[in-house]
Amino acid sequence: MKILLAEDTRDMNRAISTILTLEKYDVESVFDGAEALERLKKDSFDGIILDIMMPKMDGLQVLKAIRSSGILTPVLLLTAKAEIDDRVTGLDAGADDYLTKPFAMKELLARVRSMTRRHTEYSGRELKYGDIVLNAANFELAGINSVRLSIKEFELMQTLMLNAERPLDTRYILEHVWANEPEARPDTVWLYISYLKGKLRSVDSRLSIEGERGGSFRLIKA
Amino acid sequence: MPELSGTQNYTVEFNDFTMTGNSDSENDSSTIYGPHLAEMRRILREVVDEITSVRAALKDEFGQDPVDHCLARIKSDESMREKLRRKGLAETADNALFEIKDAIGVRIVCSFLNDVYTIRDRIEALSDIVVTEEKDYIRHSKSNGYRSDHLIVRVRGKYFVEMQLRTISMDTWAALEHQMRYKKKRTDNDTLIRAELKRCADELASTDVSMQTIRDMIMMDL
Repeated sequence: MKILLAEDTRDMNRAISTILTLEKYDVESVFDGAEALERLKKDSFDGIILDIMMPKMDGLQVLKAIRSSGILTPVLLLTAKAEIDDRVTGLDAGADDYLTKPFAMKELLARVRSMTRRHTEYSGRELKYGDIVLNAANFELAGINSVRLSIKEFELMQTLMLNAERPLDTRYILEHVWANEPEARPDTVWLYISYLKGKLRSVDSRLSIEGERGGSFRLIKA
Repeated sequence: MPELSGTQNYTVEFNDFTMTGNSDSENDSSTIYGPHLAEMRRILREVVDEITSVRAALKDEFGQDPVDHCLARIKSDESMREKLRRKGLAETADNALFEIKDAIGVRIVCSFLNDVYTIRDRIEALSDIVVTEEKDYIRHSKSNGYRSDHLIVRVRGKYFVEMQLRTISMDTWAALEHQMRYKKKRTDNDTLIRAELKRCADELASTDVSMQTIRDMIMMDL
């Protein structure tokens, strides 16, 4: 599980980072909002912890920017006790949860677990990107035409759409779409990418997936 | 071309090529086609021969005949008159031959998706056949899920022939859809049947793409 932690107070950043690492999370820390946004545009995470008060760009601005670019990664906001308006604005802007400082590390861990668990609930929705709608209720991929996807094709398409325009490497895809399936290999990813490329063409979509066998893949508007 | 599976039509089979026609119109000119009928039969035979040589050439090139089977027919007198009436056209030979473009019909059924387009390209390249219209219902399927590539071609600058190109699974689907369409009783199940047929069409289309992808992968490893 990859977590992006954006917190400008050095001690707080180090403390959270240490405890999450102990819990086997793969943590990347940044110290201001602009850096957080930069990282989020380039890479994909399973959860984001965003402090509201940060230099350069505050947490709310980062949140609004990522949601408007279609990044649906779960966000946990860290707020100060007095910032009630911020919490409301934050939740309205697409945060999944918030935690008021000061907090117990135990609670932070519970909220991170809850937030990353909730990620799978995106499977209850309809995802849209470009000219494509992916329906989680019936695994339908619809453009001008529609086709029905298999479970793995659906999960891969969902992952690509949630990370549209950002490259995902083969290892990341294996860990997320084929978690707990040791028989899956890089060529499995390549075959399923090839299926989806064909299926995007068959619904006459203008989206395409770029990338080479074994490398990184990116869903793009052609 | 629904009357291809009609029961009153006689059928002549040679190799895997099936030609059907109305037995009572074999030697007379009492049909709507009048004196054109003999010429239409010659055209039909000619087109069939052309397709047979396209198949032979492809088999030489790739070691495999891309076509599973072919059907050819002249639209029965009865269905032609019915179609003219439905379109509000007078029941004349001219209308039957030049307003309605499927008096002569050929259906080419391929094993794999790309074969459909290979055959299409070879037909387009033939010197004595001019493609005047193409409707690609594979890329832009009809709302009920129907998929096929339809070509209207003109032979010797005069007669029109409708060619339907599709895969085996599209063909199987069309046969079932045809049965539903001509089912005598309307029941409460009709809506369910239509929705399920649409779902099957989308699943089959998806599987056609997957099979083509696997086939490409096999070819690459050879």
